[in-house]
Amino acid sequence: MARDSKTPTSKSGTTAVSLSVNGVDRKLVVGQHESIADVLRDRLDLRGTKIGCNSGECGACTVLLDGVAVCSCVTLAATVSESSVVTVEGLAREGELQELQQAFMEHGAFQCGFCTSGMLMSAYALLSQQRKPSDEAIRTALQGNICRCTGYVQILNAVRDAAARS
Amino acid sequence: MLYCAILRSPHAAADILNIDLTPALAVSGVVDAVTVDDFSGSRYVNYGPAYSDRHAMAKDKVRFYGEEVAAVAAESVQAAWLGVRAISIGYKEHAAAPTVEAALAAGAPDIHPRRDKLSSNVVQSVDVQLGDTAGAFDRAALVVEGDYEHGVVWPVCMETNAAVASFDRATGKLEVWCGTQAPFFVRKELAQVIGLELKNIIVRSVAIGGGFGGKSQAPEQIAIAALLSKRTGRPVKVVLSRDEEYIAGKSDHAKRMSLRTAVDAEGNILARAVDALVDNGAYTHMGPVYVSAVRQRTANLYRVGTAGIRAKLVYTNKLPGGSYRGMGAPGIIWAIESQIDEIAEKLNLDPVDYRLRIANQAGDVTPLGWKITSCGLSECLTKAAERIGWKDKKGKLPPYRGIGIASMIHPSGSVLYAEGNFSNIAIELHPDGRMTVFTQTADAGTWQNTVLAQLVAETLGVTMEGISVVHMDTELGPDDLGSAASRVTFVTGNAAIAAGKNLVSKLRERIASEWGIGADEVKYEAGVFSNARDKRRELTLPQAAQRFGSLRVEGRYEIGLERPDPITGYGNYAAAYAFGAQAVEVEVDRGTGHVTILNIASAQDVGRVINPTALEGQTYGGIMQGVGMALSEDVVFENGRPVNRSLINYRVPRIRDTPNISIDFIETADALGPFGAKAAGEPTINATVAAVANAVADAVGVRFHKLPITPEAVLAAIRKRNQQQPQLKPYLRAYNAEIATVRKLYPAMFPVMKKAGKYLAQPRPQVREFETAIANTLDDAIAQAAATEGSRFLGGGTDLLPGIRQGVYGPSKLISYRGVPGVREIVTTDTAVRVGAAVTINGLINDELILEKFPGLTKGASLIATSQIRNRATVAGDLCQEKRCWFFRSATPCYRFSGPACPCYAVLGDNRHHSILGAGRCAAPCVADLAPMLSCLGAEVVTAGSGTTRRIPVEQLYVWAGETVLNPAELITSIEIPKPQARSAFHYEKYARWQGDFAEASAAVRLVGTAKRIEEASIVLGGVAPKPA
Ligand code: FES
Ligand code: FES
Repeated sequence: MARDSKTPTSKSGTTAVSLSVNGVDRKLVVGQHESIADVLRDRLDLRGTKIGCNSGECGACTVLLDGVAVCSCVTLAATVSESSVVTVEGLAREGELQELQQAFMEHGAFQCGFCTSGMLMSAYALLSQQRKPSDEAIRTALQGNICRCTGYVQILNAVRDAAARS
Repeated sequence: MLYCAILRSPHAAADILNIDLTPALAVSGVVDAVTVDDFSGSRYVNYGPAYSDRHAMAKDKVRFYGEEVAAVAAESVQAAWLGVRAISIGYKEHAAAPTVEAALAAGAPDIHPRRDKLSSNVVQSVDVQLGDTAGAFDRAALVVEGDYEHGVVWPVCMETNAAVASFDRATGKLEVWCGTQAPFFVRKELAQVIGLELKNIIVRSVAIGGGFGGKSQAPEQIAIAALLSKRTGRPVKVVLSRDEEYIAGKSDHAKRMSLRTAVDAEGNILARAVDALVDNGAYTHMGPVYVSAVRQRTANLYRVGTAGIRAKLVYTNKLPGGSYRGMGAPGIIWAIESQIDEIAEKLNLDPVDYRLRIANQAGDVTPLGWKITSCGLSECLTKAAERIGWKDKKGKLPPYRGIGIASMIHPSGSVLYAEGNFSNIAIELHPDGRMTVFTQTADAGTWQNTVLAQLVAETLGVTMEGISVVHMDTELGPDDLGSAASRVTFVTGNAAIAAGKNLVSKLRERIASEWGIGADEVKYEAGVFSNARDKRRELTLPQAAQRFGSLRVEGRYEIGLERPDPITGYGNYAAAYAFGAQAVEVEVDRGTGHVTILNIASAQDVGRVINPTALEGQTYGGIMQGVGMALSEDVVFENGRPVNRSLINYRVPRIRDTPNISIDFIETADALGPFGAKAAGEPTINATVAAVANAVADAVGVRFHKLPITPEAVLAAIRKRNQQQPQLKPYLRAYNAEIATVRKLYPAMFPVMKKAGKYLAQPRPQVREFETAIANTLDDAIAQAAATEGSRFLGGGTDLLPGIRQGVYGPSKLISYRGVPGVREIVTTDTAVRVGAAVTINGLINDELILEKFPGLTKGASLIATSQIRNRATVAGDLCQEKRCWFFRSATPCYRFSGPACPCYAVLGDNRHHSILGAGRCAAPCVADLAPMLSCLGAEVVTAGSGTTRRIPVEQLYVWAGETVLNPAELITSIEIPKPQARSAFHYEKYARWQGDFAEASAAVRLVGTAKRIEEASIVLGGVAPKPA
C-alpha cells in the first residue's frame, strides 16, 4: 500500500511596495509569493484582470508594466516596487471608452469576454509602440493571448480598425 | 467567506482503504472537511436513473485520476490547501482499464460492477437496422469501408469552473453563484446529492467565461461547496485551477467508428452502416447522447437509403466525458465525409458535384424519420465551393496544397430530453417603460441575451435599448432547461416571442376596460395602442406602463413533437434541421508535416439571421475550434492520467492559426423558427474537421483515419507514400550503442521500475508560499543564496513561477537580482559583447548593438515564446529553465523527478516531443532556444559564487536538460559573445508547433568564409537532445 506523502511547506513574508496603478500611487504590503494579478484582484479589487491559467500561457492576465505587456500571473509584486501598472480599468477615461475598446465593441470582438481585458492590454501595448502595425505585428503581439470563443477574426478586425482610426 | 480545496485521486483505479480527516481539521484555519459519507443524498442523476452511477465524491473506490475524494473549507485558500495536504489517506491501487480496448478485453477489471449491466464495462449497447441494410450492401455497385478514431478533446473554457455557495440556516435556502450553462441541472443535481428540496435551491446570475457544453453537466465542485456551506452556515467559494479543469472538468468523448457505405453505380447511397465504440470514461454523463449523435448522422447526412447502427458505450478508467460543442457530430461527420470523397474519386466525380447529387432536400423524410421541412444544403455547397474557388483549384493546385469540402446536418430545437421540450420566459414591464426579460438559460458568450432582447423588441415593435435580460436566475426566471443542444434561439426564442405577445394582450385587456371597448378593438402597432374607431385615443407602451404599474407576463413554447423511439431512435427529433457546408484550402510542409490552413469558406443554412455580428462571431469561433479538433487537440494519457495539461502542449488555436475565413448565411426561413431562425452557433464546428481532413488528403494524397492530423502523422504518411523508411538502427552508431541497449531492455524493466518507484519515489515539492528577497549587490545576492538552503535566483519568473505551481520547483526563497548593477546592460568589451544576465529577451531583440553584430541572434530570439513572456523572461533564465517533458510536468513519478528508482515514461510512452539523440535515463530535450544559439556563437557564461568567478562555455553549461554545472549559490552575471569574425554569418531556424512554443527541433548555424568557400562551419541543434547538440 502506497501512502501519499504529506510534506506541506509554507513560509512567507511580506514586503512593502509602492506602485502606480492606473495612475494612482498605491502603497501596499504584499505577500512575497503574491503575483501582480493576485494583488490587483484580491487587494485592490481590480477584477478586470483575469486569471485563465496562472502560468503565463493564456494572456488573460496581461497588464502593462512600465509600458510593456506582461503576464501579471507570473510576475511577483514584491519585485516590481516603484513600477507603473496599467490594467483594463485604466483604459477608459471619465466613462469614455478608449478607441480600442470602442473598436472591440463595434466589431463584436468578444463573446464571453474572459480574454478581452488581456487582449485589449496586449493590443494597447502594441498600438502605443507602433501607430500603424502590420497584420504580422498584430498577430505577433496577440499570439500570447488565447481566445476560445471568437476564432480571433473580429479581434483582428477591431485592432486593425483602431489602428486605422488613430 | 470560506475557501474550498479538493483532494483528488492520484490513481486511475484504486480502492480507498481509509481516510482520516482529523489531521486536516487540526490545521489552523480549517473549519470543516468532508468525504462522500457526509452527503446525505444519493447519486447524481445525469443522463437519467438508468445511467446514474456517480456519487457526489468517490465512494470506496476511485475510478479516474483526479476524482474528488475529500474536501476542506478554510478561512483562506492557503489554509484550505494545507488542510487537503494533511488528510491521511490509504489507497490500494489496482490495474486500470484506461482505454476502450483494455476495458473490453477478456479479464478486464470491472469498473462498475452492476447487476443490470450488459457485459463487463458496457454501459449501453445499440443495435438498430433501420431497413434492409444487409440487402443494400449485397446490391451495391461499390462499397467503401474504413476505421476512424479520435481521442478526447477538452472544451478549454478560458474561465475555469468556479462557484460560491451560500446556505442560510434561518431560511433553509441555498444560493449558488456559478458559471453554468444549465442552472436547471445544477438545482436538480444539488437537490439530489445534498438532500435539499428543489425550491430551496436558487441559482443566481453571473457572467460566464465560456461554455461550449463544458459547463452543462453535473457540477461536482458546486455540490461540494454547497455541502460545506450547508454544514458551516457560511458562504464557501471554490475555484478550479487550470490543471484541475483538465483532469476533472468535462471533456468530449473519444470514439472508434467502423463505417461502411454502399452505393449504386450512380453513387446514390443505398446504405450506411456503422459500428462504433464510444469511450464513456469512468462515469456516465452524456455518453448516450454521443451514441445518438453517431446514429443521427449515419442515417441522415445526405440522402441515405437505409442505415444500420451498432454502438457500444464503454466504461474506462479515465475522466468522464461530458459534452462539447457538436456533441460528437464532428467525428462521425469526418468519417462519413471521408468516404463521400472516396466514393467520388472511385466514380470519377467531382466531390462538389457528387455531393450536390446526393444532398438532402426539403420534403425528405430520412431513414431515421427526420422530416426535413426546409433545407439549404445544395445552396450551401454551391456557395462554399464558389467562395473557395473550387473550379479553379480542384486538381490544379501545386503539390502539397489541397482543398476539401464537407457538409453537416444539425437538429434545431430537438426533443432529446423530456425537460428540453419546452421553455418558459418572463417579461417584466416596469412603470418607467423599461423591460426586463428573465430566463433560466445562460449566456456563456453566445450573445443569447442580446438575441432574446432582440426577439422581444421585434415582437413588440420597439427598440432594444429599454430591454435588459437577467439570465440564469432560477428564482426570477421561470423553468427552462438551459443553454445546451443549440436550443436557446429556437426554443427559448419562441418562448420570448410568446411572452411578448402575452404582454401585449394583457395590456390590451386593461386598456380596453379603461376605454370601455372590447379588447379586440384595441390595436397595437410599433409600441402604440390605439382605438380602431377613435383615432384620438392612443397610448404608447411607456405610457401604458406608467398607468398600470409593474406588469409581469410569461411566455411558453413547447415543441409539439413526439420523443423518438427509445430503442431504435426512430422519430422526428427536431422542429427543424440546420445545414451547412465548409470548404478548406491547406498547405502542407513536406519537411515537417505541418498543416497550414490558408482559406476557409463557410456557408450555413440558418433559417434566418437574427443578429449578424453574433452569428458571424459564433461561426468564426466554431470553425477555429474545429480546426483545433482536426489538427492538434487531443488529450494524451499515460495509463489514464492526462499528461498534456497545459495550454502549451494541449494546443488550442492561437491568432496566428486564423486563416482567411469567408462566411455566408443561406436564409431558408423555417416556418417554426422564431422569425424563421434555426439553430446556428453550435453546429459551425460540425463540418470543419471533415473539410480540413479532406483538404489535407487532397494535398498529400493519403487519407487519415485518426484525429487529430498531427504533423507527426502527416510526415509518417508522406514517408509511407514515398516509401521512405527512415533508417532507425541506432545501435549501429557507436555513440548510441549504450542507449540503444537500455531501450531494448526497457519493456522488461519498465513495470518493475514503476512498481519500485511507487515505494521509493521522492515526493514532489508542494510550495504555495515562499519568501522573496531583493538583492541590490552581487555579494548580497550570493550571500543570501548561501545562507538559505533551497533558495533560487529569480529572473523574470516566467519559468520559475509556473514550475513552483506545478510542483516542479520547491524553493524556500527566491532572490531577485535584477537590481544588481550591470546585469541589465549590454556592453562591448575588446573581444566580446557582454549581455547582462537579467537582460530580457525583448531587451536583447531590441538592442541596436546586438542587431548590428548578430542580426541572426536578434531574429532567432524573436522566435522565443510570446511577447508578454519575452518582456519578462531573462537571458540567463532562458538558459537555466527546467525541462518541459509532459510526464515530468504533469506530476508523473518519473526518473527525473522522483529519483533513480523510477523509470523515464518517455521511453515507452508518447515521446513525440522528446530527445532523438543521446537520451540516457531521461529523454527530455533541452528546449532553451538561446542554448544552441549562444553555444554556436562560442559564448561563455560568466558566473559569480562565494568569492569566485567562473567562465563556462555555453557548450559545457549543461549536465542534462534543465540541469547545469552551476552550484546552488552560483549566479550567472553575464554572457559574453565573442565579436563576430570577419566574413562570418549566423542564423537560427526553429520548428515549433505554434509560434511561441518550445522547439521541436532547431538549428543554429555559423559559417565563416566566402560564397565560394566555407572555411569553418559550426552547427548546434536544439530541442532534439538533452543538451544542445
Ligand atoms: S493567467 Fe496569466 S497567462 Fe494565463
Ligand atoms: S471571448 Fe471568450 S475567450 Fe475570448
